[in-house]
Amino acid sequence: MKILLLGMNHRTAPLALRERLAVEDPAPVLRKLIGSEEIDEAVLLSTCNRIELVVLTRNPDAARLRLRSCFRFDLAGDDGFPAAADLESHLYEHAGPDAWRHVLRVASSLDSMVVGEPQILGQTKDAYRAAVECGACGPILGRLFQLAFATAKRVRSETQVAARPVSVARVAVDLAEQIFEDLAGKKALLVGAGEMTEAALAALRERGLSSVAITNRTPERAAPLAVRFGATAHGLAELPRLLADADVVLTSIAGDVPLLTPGLVSAALSGRKSRPLFVIDIGVPRNADPALDQLDDVYLYDLDDLAAIADRNAAQRSRDVAKAEAIIEEQQQRFDGWFVALRAVPTIRHLRERIESLRADEVERALGKLPLSEDQRAAVEALTRSLVNKILHAPVSRLRREAEREEGIVYLETARVLFDLDEPAAADPDGADPTDES
Amino acid sequence: MAVALLQWAAAIYLIACLVAASGLVLRSRRLGRGAVWLLAAGALLHGFSFPLLHAQGEAPPLTSLAAASSFMAWVGTLCFLALLLRVRVAGLVVLVAPAAFLGVFLAALRLPTVGPATFAGSGSWPHAHVLLASAGLALLGLSGLASLVYLIEHARLKAKSKAGRPFALPSLEALDRVNATALAAGFALLTLGVVTGMFWVQAASGRLFVGSPHETWSLVAWAVYAVLTAVRFGGRQGARQAATGALIAFGFLFFAVIGVELLT
Repeated sequence: MKILLLGMNHRTAPLALRERLAVEDPAPVLRKLIGSEEIDEAVLLSTCNRIELVVLTRNPDAARLRLRSCFRFDLAGDDGFPAAADLESHLYEHAGPDAWRHVLRVASSLDSMVVGEPQILGQTKDAYRAAVECGACGPILGRLFQLAFATAKRVRSETQVAARPVSVARVAVDLAEQIFEDLAGKKALLVGAGEMTEAALAALRERGLSSVAITNRTPERAAPLAVRFGATAHGLAELPRLLADADVVLTSIAGDVPLLTPGLVSAALSGRKSRPLFVIDIGVPRNADPALDQLDDVYLYDLDDLAAIADRNAAQRSRDVAKAEAIIEEQQQRFDGWFVALRAVPTIRHLRERIESLRADEVERALGKLPLSEDQRAAVEALTRSLVNKILHAPVSRLRREAEREEGIVYLETARVLFDLDEPAAADPDGADPTDES
Repeated sequence: MAVALLQWAAAIYLIACLVAASGLVLRSRRLGRGAVWLLAAGALLHGFSFPLLHAQGEAPPLTSLAAASSFMAWVGTLCFLALLLRVRVAGLVVLVAPAAFLGVFLAALRLPTVGPATFAGSGSWPHAHVLLASAGLALLGLSGLASLVYLIEHARLKAKSKAGRPFALPSLEALDRVNATALAAGFALLTLGVVTGMFWVQAASGRLFVGSPHETWSLVAWAVYAVLTAVRFGGRQGARQAATGALIAFGFLFFAVIGVELLT
């Protein structure tokens, strides 16, 4: 019995292919998969950055083919089937411990495009829930995913992997949240435009920044951007008035001399009491005079300042990732032990059945010769059952413990010989329900 | 019984300090929230000690420095908890909890209160003075704590090499709001405390002002706060100057009320 994972993500496949294969409702694909003989359990994780199938199989070779066929035909749907060779170059496959390690890393957001982003845990939970609801996720993958959720929680609480922003735009948002109590209701002023200022503005808007004004040398050129952000477009002549009203200023405008001077900003701030102004200067050359920083309520950050913080955070994050990987390793070992121990289940079940059968025969024979009342017969039944359980308790516990180690196979084989359990291949759990220990 | 309650409250405040410090270092909002709940639990126990103290003696229960510090700690804690309903400053628990602990710990060590003779014939003025002045001092203390954190955060944001978020502290804007709110309410209560104190002196000595060091320094501290409040709300001050002013003024008030009391 093996856990296999086949998938593609933002590193291995282009967006166009991921879009073609992404599914909103995984249930039909999963039902079809578990309807095939070689797959016992399955979970499908489909997000904008990854599509992964995790399955439990008793026939790994057949399952590999079945999963590839699923990617090529079932997931591609009506958009046409991708060529097998083309698809293969974008897929990765993990089996056994590598597969469950991958699941733990994905749920903990260590395999994400932006390491530490929180959405992937929710998406993994949704994928698990969908698989459970359509009957595709059984006890083994269920156990794996529950462990993955617990691991993600540990990673989040025991490391800072998700806490430090590493992009310039996110650093700007983080700084804004250190200055302002709440970005909702705050006003932004965009002076000029540029890719990075737009990214920072988009990130600030995600956090609730409410209104945006855009000012440019030619307001007509700012109009398309204004439409995109639901903003108002203005000429540079209105800058003093707009500054007085703004909480966050993002500047990126061409020009040899700084546009935002201490005089201009002081005049704009004069009527604001103690309301702070956060200036993000991404212009090269700089649009804001560095002397602005001498004004108490002005917090000026230029591109170098933001990049330096992002770099420091990235260095810290890589240390946090190492800590998170150690947690993953620990959790992986727990699942290793549990999964390996599953091979003891058939032996233990056969042992119990054999002893129970002996007990039942002997009790029946003895009771046939004794004139006992119903109560007395029940007492004899209970007594013998209790004896059997007590005698078996120690060897069964030992077998379970030993089975978690690779060398434990010797104990399982010895038990089969000693108790004359009649299946020579019983150490292989294939064909048995591993959760049925009754 | 009252002392036992104070000791329990001190223990809970101390645990809140440790949880808050852990939350600060680990940047855990959950620990921060836990510290706030512990602070609230401590304040609940702490609150029960005052009626018990009142029932124990004839004198107003808060007229010893130790008991007054306990009351200040309690009012400060309650005001902080009330402010949390409106302002996101849960991170301030890391300073409020130790302040609450110190206030209660001192009271738990130094109770019972002074004898009743000092208050003979003064009516309700001692009660009113101590309650109002202690509450004012507590709020101005809260304003001072918020100002201290504001100045630290301001310096960190200005020194860009230290920016980023090593700790889960409140935003500058929230700290400034706490400073302003606590200053406004605290100054109003301090004013009432000074006025009732003068009536107490008059009831006891026949004069409004007898020139005792406590009275003199308290009036000077009140004048300092009057100027600070006028400048702050007159719109002639930025947030950093307001924070610096609030911190210095609280240092002065602390000396005027507690320091002078101890020195004399």
